[in-house]
Amino acid sequence: MAQPKEIFVKSERCLGCMSCMIACSVEHSPGKTLFSAIAEPVVPKSRVYVEWAPPAKKIPLVCRQCEDAPCMFACISGAISRNDDGTVVTDADKCIGCWTCVMVCPYGVIGRDIDAGKAYRCDRCPDRDIPACVHACPTGALLYETVPDYSKSMRQKASEELARAEGE
Amino acid sequence: MSFSEKTLSRSVDPATQRMLDVAEKEGLETAWDRYEKMLPQCGFGELGVCCRNCNMGPCRISPFEDTGPQKGICGATADIIVARNLIRMIAGGAAAHSDHGRDLAHTLLLTAQGKSGGYEIKDEAKLAALAKEYGIGTEGRTKEEIALDLAESAYAEFGKQEGFVQISRRAPSPRVELWKKFGIDPRGIDREIVEIMHRTHIGVDNDAVNLILQGLKASIADGWGGSAIATEISDVLFGTPVPVRSASNLGVLKDDAVNIIAHGHEPVLSEMIVAASCDPKLVGKAKAAGASGINVVGMCCTGNEIMMRHGIPHAGNFLQQELAVMTGAVEAIIVDVQCIMPALGDLCECFHTKFISTSSKAKFPGAVHMQFSEEQGYGIALQIVEAAVDNYVNRNPEKVVIPEEKMDCMVGFSTEAIVGALGGTLDPLLDAIKSGAVRGIAGVVGCNNPKIKHDEGHLELVKALIENDVLVTTTGCNAIACAKAGLLLPEAAEQAGDGLRGVCQTLGVPPVLHMGSCVDISRILTVCAAVANALGVDISDLPVAGSAPEWMSEKAVSIGAYVVSSGIFTVLGTVPQVLGSPLVTEVLTKTANDVVGAAFAVETDPVKGAQLMIAHIDAKRQALGI
Amino acid sequence: MPGRKVNDVDQRTAKYVIIGGSAAGMTAAHTIRARDPGSSITVLSDEPDMPYYRPLIPYVVSGKKSVREMALHGCGPYTGTDIRVETDSRVTSVDTEAKTVFVENGGSVRYGKVLFATGSRPFIPPDIEGIETPGVFALRKLLDAREMHKRAAQTSHAVLLGGGLLNLKAAFALLERGLEVTLVVYSPEVLSQLMEPRDAAPVREALDDAGLKIRTGAAAVAVESDSDGVAGVLLDDGSEIACRMVCIGKGVRPNVEFLETSGIVLDSGIVADACTACSRPDTFTAGDVAVTHDPISEDRVMTALWTNAVEMGRCAGLNMAGVQTAYAGTFGILNATQIARLPFVSMGVVHTSGLDCEVHRHRSRGSYRKMVFSPDGARLVGMVLIGDIRNAGLYRHVIRERMEVSHIKRQIIDHSLHGGHFFR
Repeated sequence: MAQPKEIFVKSERCLGCMSCMIACSVEHSPGKTLFSAIAEPVVPKSRVYVEWAPPAKKIPLVCRQCEDAPCMFACISGAISRNDDGTVVTDADKCIGCWTCVMVCPYGVIGRDIDAGKAYRCDRCPDRDIPACVHACPTGALLYETVPDYSKSMRQKASEELARAEGE
Repeated sequence: MSFSEKTLSRSVDPATQRMLDVAEKEGLETAWDRYEKMLPQCGFGELGVCCRNCNMGPCRISPFEDTGPQKGICGATADIIVARNLIRMIAGGAAAHSDHGRDLAHTLLLTAQGKSGGYEIKDEAKLAALAKEYGIGTEGRTKEEIALDLAESAYAEFGKQEGFVQISRRAPSPRVELWKKFGIDPRGIDREIVEIMHRTHIGVDNDAVNLILQGLKASIADGWGGSAIATEISDVLFGTPVPVRSASNLGVLKDDAVNIIAHGHEPVLSEMIVAASCDPKLVGKAKAAGASGINVVGMCCTGNEIMMRHGIPHAGNFLQQELAVMTGAVEAIIVDVQCIMPALGDLCECFHTKFISTSSKAKFPGAVHMQFSEEQGYGIALQIVEAAVDNYVNRNPEKVVIPEEKMDCMVGFSTEAIVGALGGTLDPLLDAIKSGAVRGIAGVVGCNNPKIKHDEGHLELVKALIENDVLVTTTGCNAIACAKAGLLLPEAAEQAGDGLRGVCQTLGVPPVLHMGSCVDISRILTVCAAVANALGVDISDLPVAGSAPEWMSEKAVSIGAYVVSSGIFTVLGTVPQVLGSPLVTEVLTKTANDVVGAAFAVETDPVKGAQLMIAHIDAKRQALGI
Repeated sequence: MPGRKVNDVDQRTAKYVIIGGSAAGMTAAHTIRARDPGSSITVLSDEPDMPYYRPLIPYVVSGKKSVREMALHGCGPYTGTDIRVETDSRVTSVDTEAKTVFVENGGSVRYGKVLFATGSRPFIPPDIEGIETPGVFALRKLLDAREMHKRAAQTSHAVLLGGGLLNLKAAFALLERGLEVTLVVYSPEVLSQLMEPRDAAPVREALDDAGLKIRTGAAAVAVESDSDGVAGVLLDDGSEIACRMVCIGKGVRPNVEFLETSGIVLDSGIVADACTACSRPDTFTAGDVAVTHDPISEDRVMTALWTNAVEMGRCAGLNMAGVQTAYAGTFGILNATQIARLPFVSMGVVHTSGLDCEVHRHRSRGSYRKMVFSPDGARLVGMVLIGDIRNAGLYRHVIRERMEVSHIKRQIIDHSLHGGHFFR
């Protein structure tokens, strides 16, 4: 199976503009445009969160699609499964809104839909090539890459820095 | 009484802490709560690199060179966008101050024509002095005749197309020459503001330095124009302040009286409210309702105005406005313009408090509008005060929580009052500066901002300055912070360094001199101009420095710009939205020195800010050879 | 040696034998399969139904979900293949010398490794007269739910004994069927195992608003009956409540009788070491029947929660498959659910009256929270969230890791903690 892509977060690039949150909400709304989304009776919800950690860090958080997902084991109704491309999904029909998944998620990225009484989380935008949040980020704080590619770019940067340091 | 850590971290003022505790327990939202909800604030905005000046946008420049757009759609770079945004803030602030001045001129005009209701010309000496400045003859003329000409001359400053703004000529001639040299000597008050709006339109001025120079020009037309006119005409109509005792903080509210808060900026309204509250019929009505009387207190700058002239107690500065309503003891909060939070609408619904707006320029959700006009000023004020008195029966005593903090203060240090305190001339002050007993003078001003622990920025900076023998002049919300902390008492001289203490004790004045409202920073400029002229130097040679430790408003941006343009080094305690352009940042903090002989510094730590000011003052002393 | 005689025809062998086909057992089975694709795994369940999500059975009572929708297989982590599940196969004894388990219908199975995951059964108070009457249920198994569902059709009023979570869920299932429901609770307030009476107030309000009748401080002494079974309940204050159905939710007892002669060390439940192993070679235990430890108090504890059983089953499965893993222990209390549109989460130390600890409570419209810190204030040891349950998982992490919280204490008290606070 080809390496799946992950959403990597570079929090030092995050400016807290929340364009990712708007893009995610719009993508998960029936009309899929900003102007229709804001008029909808049920407010579309973002699956990505931008939080603030003092004194000045801005941190985007999204479902990590854990290989060893605590939510999947904890679900008492079998609503959380891994589908064929490896994404962990919450089946809204099976979800009974017990929030055990919320209780065990170490990132706090499972949301609660108050009206429907169901849990929801990032689905990696199955209808798009690139998740909406990644596409919307203007500073490159969100990247959509495979682990090997991402790690390689990290290694490249690290080796450049080492080479610079040694050169001195 | 133990408060939560959250409450303690928000303010150093005990009365504020007490009310924040009430807010926390009652589930009432404050500006601090809304600030926390706003986090993280958008970094593009913080850096000043967001532009919405046209509909090709909105545009934002990425601060990372390798990713994201580096130019707006029209081609504007971060430098251009930041500069445009900055001078639009100056335009907003200068417009606010200038409108304030315009309203005063209008009131003087009506009064001179005998058409105003309840106003009179109180300070004829000031009227004469101003008339002389404007080249208006006074021999054998009534004060109304003189006032009419003065009002029309002042009015004319606003719509002037060519020429210069009269009061700016108080500045030492080297200063005026410098302004002329760099093309920033303003031609008229409104014109310079309009030109900012023109230049910042898409496809007009796209040179960051050129834009900034226009910003400085408009700000000079504020500080030496609109604001100065506001100050001087207020003195003419309501009296030039002289030292007077008063009290400040929320404890000035009384649990047994009809409490009225005058909030906003223009004494045109607050003076009438004060007068109306003394009306025997209304006082009688209040007593009949079971109150001991009518207690008018001020908030923000209009509060400063009536405190400076009449010793009316002051309930608190900008961030305390919601907390005042939360005491449950306020029958009416009467507002005109500027720094009034729209949050008051919802808040007043939780209490019996009437939120009364009075200006057609300033309407708020949830407010009751009682339109004020200078023509029937006193009559309308009577109606407004009566509405408050009638509301007294609706007060719920069980909901009343008035903090006990109420600090005495000595205020009223207009330029004239300072000169008077010095014995009629500035010489004693100049001698003290030369001898080093007074190391220098600082002007510490400006708002509150939840980004800085409430009042801590103000107080720590001022205390560090006076400990180092720097005489502090203060206005606006900083003045109130100092008042609440007891720094406006002559006894506070004990907290000052030896030199300053000696001078204050000799003169019987506090080490921190309250010079009035934010427009009264023009008084500080007048003092600096007078000292500079006496010493035969430019203002930029003086051992003086300015600071706005907790600023937030656009008015503060205009003030900072005109103070620096006047040659005074200014330290800002909250970070302005300019860091997205290294060029603009450098111009403001370094290059400005080469143009106007002064620059800005940004320092969020108030003690370090004070050290920057002291170092600057020492450098100037050395250059002067004193 | 007791138990059936070894019979060649009925003797079977499996590398891994798992006794009990619910949370712990099935999670262990699938965990083993993920690591050991080829070896034989046999699960012996005493229920007639193939493994299912036990927490969903109240939906069978209310009729909102079908039995099919509850099947374990194919959902979540239960996607392994070639796991042999035998239903109606109660294990009656175990010979740990001969490494054989004996099944009630006569067969036996030799094991390479065995997991005891027999769970627990409802505790039926022996001192209530008439407790055997038809119409008295304890909601534990799918077949109980089916029976309750049937009887609910002829019931207008049901009395539930016990104010715990399971009974609340059963109560709501019955309310949805249109029955009147009265809860008889011995403690001063509902959910006494999960929170203190003061914390439960918002939940209690929601229950009252939903139409549930609640009697606290009362216990049943007898069940009255007529030709149709249950006719009423007699309480200890002498009062009577007429009803056609009684449901008992008074806790559970571990199913350990089959190990009486096995030599396995018991302490009420089956004692497990840090790696889920029992006292005899190649024996393991997990789930409700196991005695594990609470990481905060370090006391021995038994839990009755699906989530904990799954975790422990997983750990046992890893150990059985040769991956030595310590079980992180469980909080005695770890619960999340939604009652009457009000979600709540409670975990760790939550009974704080008289306890030496630092407690911070906050009540606002629609939500309530309580954060419990160690006496020196340095660690979070428990919490209750009602209404606003965002980021509950982060608090579990903080409690479980026994984190030193001074840098995030204010955020915990304000319930503004989020994942970003853990980034360095």
